Amino acid sequence: MRTAFCFDLDGTITATELLPCIASHLGISSEMATLTRATMEGTISFEESLRLRCLILGMVPAEVVHGIVASVPLNGDIVQFIGARASDCFVVTGNLDVWIGPLVNSLRATLYSSEGTFSEGRLVLNSILDKATAIDDLRTRCGYSRIIAVGDGANDVPMLRNADVAIAFGGVHKPSNAALEESDYVTYCQQALCKLLKGL
Amino acid sequence: MQTIKGAVIAAAGLGSRLGCGVPKCLIEVEGVCLLSHLIRCVERHVEVIHVVVGYREELIQEYCSTHHRNVVLVRNALYRSTMTSSSYALGAKHLDGKILYLDGDLLMAETECSKFVEAAVNVPVLVGITGTKSDNPVYVSTVHTGGTTKVTGFSYDHASSHEWANVLCAPADFFSESSGHVFHTLSAHLPLPAHEIVLYEIDTDNDLKNASAGFLRQFSDQETL
Repeated sequence: MRTAFCFDLDGTITATELLPCIASHLGISSEMATLTRATMEGTISFEESLRLRCLILGMVPAEVVHGIVASVPLNGDIVQFIGARASDCFVVTGNLDVWIGPLVNSLRATLYSSEGTFSEGRLVLNSILDKATAIDDLRTRCGYSRIIAVGDGANDVPMLRNADVAIAFGGVHKPSNAALEESDYVTYCQQALCKLLKGL
Repeated sequence: MQTIKGAVIAAAGLGSRLGCGVPKCLIEVEGVCLLSHLIRCVERHVEVIHVVVGYREELIQEYCSTHHRNVVLVRNALYRSTMTSSSYALGAKHLDGKILYLDGDLLMAETECSKFVEAAVNVPVLVGITGTKSDNPVYVSTVHTGGTTKVTGFSYDHASSHEWANVLCAPADFFSESSGHVFHTLSAHLPLPAHEIVLYEIDTDNDLKNASAGFLRQFSDQETL
C-alpha cells in the first residue's frame, strides 16, 4: 500500500499565513487580514479571494515575494517529517507557484498549487487549484492507494473530503468549521500531529 | 513486561442522565474539569493521548486548543448511535502496543492511576474495579487466587462489593471488532486480572456530589489539583 501525505502550506507548514506577510510589505496588513479571515471562514470563496489578493499583491516583484516567503518561520517538526519521506509528501496549496515555488523546492516535496505568471511586471493568474483534483491525480496517475491530508481552511475541504484520513490542524489558528467537519482527527500542535502521522 | 504506549479517553457520549448540556468530561470538580484531571493522570505514563469526541465536540475542541494542545482529538461522527467500545476502537485505530482506556467521566487521583499503570505492564489485559458506589453500577464478580484477583463476571443485577471502574489496559486492537458495552467485550475474555482502583464515575447529579465529597476527603491530602 502506497501512502501519500498531503499538506496545506499556509498556517500548516508555515507558522504564519504567507499573504499577510506580503501585504505588510505594501502596508496593507489589516486589510489583507480581513480578507484572509473571510476566506478561512468561507464567507467568500477561495477563488474570489485569490483573485482579489493577486490583484492587490501582484504589483510586488516576484523576487521580493520570494525573500518575504523565505523569511517566514516554518513548523520545524512538520518540515522534518516531510524531509524524511519527501518523495511521498505533497504540498497542496491554493497559493501561487510563482510565489511559493522556491520554498516548496527547499522542502523537496512535490507541489500542487494555483498557477500564475508575471507579464510586464504584473501578475497574471492562470489557474486556481481545486484541491480535490490533486487527490484524484495522486490516486489515478501516481498510483497512491491511501491519501492522508492535513489542512485548516475552507479551501482544504475538497482535499480533506477526498482523503482516506483527514486531519484538521490548529497549530497556527483555529481550523475552520468546514475543515473540522470533514476531519477524522484534530490536532493543535505539530509534535502531536507528527506522532499521529508516523503511526498512520 | 510491556510499557503502555498511549491512552484513549472516551468523551463522545451524550451524558444524558446528568443532563447538563455539556460533555461530561468538562464538568468541574474543585475548579478543574474531569478531562484536565484525567490528562494529568495519564500524560506522565504515555507518549500519546487520544480523546474521542462527539457530543458538542466544539466545546472540547475549544477547551483542548487552549489547555491541552498536546492531545489528539478523534472524531466519532456516529456518537449518537454507537457505544463506548466503538469510541475505543476509533481512538486506538492507528496506535499499537498496549493502551490505557478510560471513560471521560471519571475522577481519580494521580497516584491511583500510577498504581494501575504499574500493575498493567505485567499482564496483557488488566481490568479496573472499584468499590461499589455509583448510582448505576455494573457489578463485578471476582475470585482471589495466589494473591491475585480476577474478574469472572459482570452484571447489572447481582449486587457485589465492587463495580466495573471503566478503566482498563489492553492491546490497541482489543476493541476493533466491538460495538456494544465495553464490559460485554471484556466478558468474552474472562477470567481477566483485576486491579482495584479508587475512583468515581459520574453519571448522575448524585454521583457528582459523591465524587466531589469523596475526592476532597480522600485525595486532598495526597495531591494539589
